[in-house]
Amino acid sequence: MKSLVDTGALFPALVVGRLLLALTNASDVLKHNHQLSTPLTSYLNLQEGIYLFKNGIDPYSGGVFRQSPLFLALFTTVLPTSRIACSLIWTISDAIGAWALVQLWRARQRVAQTSRDGLIAAAYLLNPYLFLPTLALSTSTFENTLALLSLLFAARGHASPSLLAAAILLQLSLSSVVLLAPLVLLLASSPVSQLASPRAFSGNVKIIIPLLVEFLVYTSVLTLVSALVSGGWAWIPQTWGAILTLPDLTPNVGLWWYFFTEMFDHFRPFFLMVFSIHLLIYIAPVCIKFQYDYLYAAFILLGVLGTFKSYPTMADPGLFLSMIALFPEIYPYLRYPIVTTLLHLHAALLMPLFHHLWLNQGTGNANFFYASTLVFACANGAALTDCVWAGLRIAIGPPQEGFSVVQE
Amino acid sequence: MLVSFVHLLLLFSWSWRTLASHEQLVGDFFSKSTSNHTNNWAVLVCSSRYWFNYRHMANALGMYRTVKRLGIPDSNIILMLADDAACNSRNKFPGSVYANPGRGLDLYGDNIEVDYRGYEVTVENFIRVLTGRMEPSVPRSKRLLTDANSNVFVYMTGHGGNEFLKFQDNEEISAFDIADAFEQMWQKKRYNEIFFMIDTCQANTMYTKFYSPNILATGSAKLDQNSYSYENDNDLGVHIIDRYTHYVLEYMERINKTSHQTMRDLFDSYDPVKISSDPGVRADLFRRPLDEVLITDFFGGVAQVEVQESTTPFSGADGPESVPAADTRPRVAATAFTTETGVQDESWRTMRTWGGVVLLGALVGWVGSRTV
Repeated sequence: MKSLVDTGALFPALVVGRLLLALTNASDVLKHNHQLSTPLTSYLNLQEGIYLFKNGIDPYSGGVFRQSPLFLALFTTVLPTSRIACSLIWTISDAIGAWALVQLWRARQRVAQTSRDGLIAAAYLLNPYLFLPTLALSTSTFENTLALLSLLFAARGHASPSLLAAAILLQLSLSSVVLLAPLVLLLASSPVSQLASPRAFSGNVKIIIPLLVEFLVYTSVLTLVSALVSGGWAWIPQTWGAILTLPDLTPNVGLWWYFFTEMFDHFRPFFLMVFSIHLLIYIAPVCIKFQYDYLYAAFILLGVLGTFKSYPTMADPGLFLSMIALFPEIYPYLRYPIVTTLLHLHAALLMPLFHHLWLNQGTGNANFFYASTLVFACANGAALTDCVWAGLRIAIGPPQEGFSVVQE
Repeated sequence: MLVSFVHLLLLFSWSWRTLASHEQLVGDFFSKSTSNHTNNWAVLVCSSRYWFNYRHMANALGMYRTVKRLGIPDSNIILMLADDAACNSRNKFPGSVYANPGRGLDLYGDNIEVDYRGYEVTVENFIRVLTGRMEPSVPRSKRLLTDANSNVFVYMTGHGGNEFLKFQDNEEISAFDIADAFEQMWQKKRYNEIFFMIDTCQANTMYTKFYSPNILATGSAKLDQNSYSYENDNDLGVHIIDRYTHYVLEYMERINKTSHQTMRDLFDSYDPVKISSDPGVRADLFRRPLDEVLITDFFGGVAQVEVQESTTPFSGADGPESVPAADTRPRVAATAFTTETGVQDESWRTMRTWGGVVLLGALVGWVGSRTV
């Protein structure tokens, strides 16, 4: 129990620092930023939806509110809606996420405490890809926290909390269904690092079906609760449907919006299907290949999600990058970490610049910003492929004199 | 069965009565004045070009400014000008058009919207504008998009004669053409009432051939009479406005959007001595008496508005808590948010949200207790 709260001095200091940062009015400026929040995660839309709901208008009857009815329920009853209170809530959510990451690290190492805990917490709390969306009050913070909590509970072997967190995460974001498979398989196996010694899946196969059934039960209960709160089923096409049909083409850091602005209507259903199935096709290969280390498979699939999601914010690839801290065994085998870092620096500096040039100043056009999001996707893809390579390469062993590793 | 039939009958009669009372309410609203137009349009045509016809440009621009000032937006004004006065190389004050000798008011400015300029001001385009028979490619700003409730003010100025008006020095439109165009508009329900004003030599002959209903016409000079210009400006070197239009505009300067001055007052203000010609009025086709026709019925974009007390739930900035207790009932019964069921809906909604939160908390608690 002591290990649950004892995280060294760095973690509380970082949390206090983040809380102080939350008390500033940075959110007033950042909440409008398109890179930090999307129509599905924006705080402004959340406020609008809550106001409409409080005044008896169905917030799902127009295209303004695309978040889960659970938010409506929580923010109109128990949670406060003032700016400072919301900033604190979001920062506390980030703190919980950082705590979950540290506990995940400890579970993977199978120790109660390490000297590196503070660094892991810092990797989450100081990552600008993560703290800027939190300051912007984007609900992707909650998605990250729930993802980390569900992975943590799975690593500890607690099935029900893990599946409940995953079910709540599914209510917030339909794309997270991609994480279901590695999560269930992680529950059936162990989180301990097996990357260096690949073997066939050796977990408990029999509990997979009961776990899936439990997940479905939680999901249906939460869906019914959402329908109760929202007074109908109109929220489904507006929230989950929005992820599949992309009705809102507001620019974001993802790859979908530009593609679909120039798409002829005739081809739209086809390409929506292609893009959605593209997310799903990574599940099976990654889970099969990393069947000895499902935490790593979940990590890779989080990276896939961060790069190819329909409405990503910076927080989605940010989670992937912070989670690299959990796998120091792959660091010697990363082939081009400096290139990836520079690509990320390049993209992270140019994206806001080109966005401003296009939409505020009017001297650029959409192609500037889209090019910078392509660089961002390149950076994410580079990180992803490098991590996949390193995860596989570690199994071959350290480099030896006179031998070279070649991919056939 | 009988009971339900009676209920149905009651419901039917109630709805019929409320529908009838709606008609009554709407009818009352529109019968506040004798005019039943809902929108205003203006077609202002200056049919001359070249520097020495500066005054015709100023005539049309003066009317344009008046009409805009009194509320007709640019989207409802078709302005046809040769537009070669302001940027003419002989204009000592480039980019401006003045209508009074002291050059006090620049009519050209930087905020005018000329829809047909230069060589586009032709008889064909004018008739196409009136009748609406255009190529599909003609943009909206060049179309007269009137309907059966539109009051249209048509003003023409230039060089004219007995039943004709000269367009751009190479063609002419006759009184018959305009009369036929107006009849086409009447057949196609493109106007409610037309007010036709023309300032040329022998102007009154131009409206003698009208035969469609609801047209009120006035002109600056009668048959065999010239219309004269007002004054010369010594620096510009040309006459800058015509007498008739000058005195009409002078009268209009005293009108604003809320004036109740009528057409009778305008026509009574005509002074043939000052104007140096005999202006005329033709009102036989017009169904309303002239002392009931407001000037703003044609010159302004005044619409009938009735301001109600707020009856929607959004009346307060803070939400439902600040809805005033003395909430006035909606004037017309068929509004979407009636206050009776609003309270019921709100309590049901609160129950739903709390129910959802409680269920969510119960689920989390149950899962938590199972684990620990």
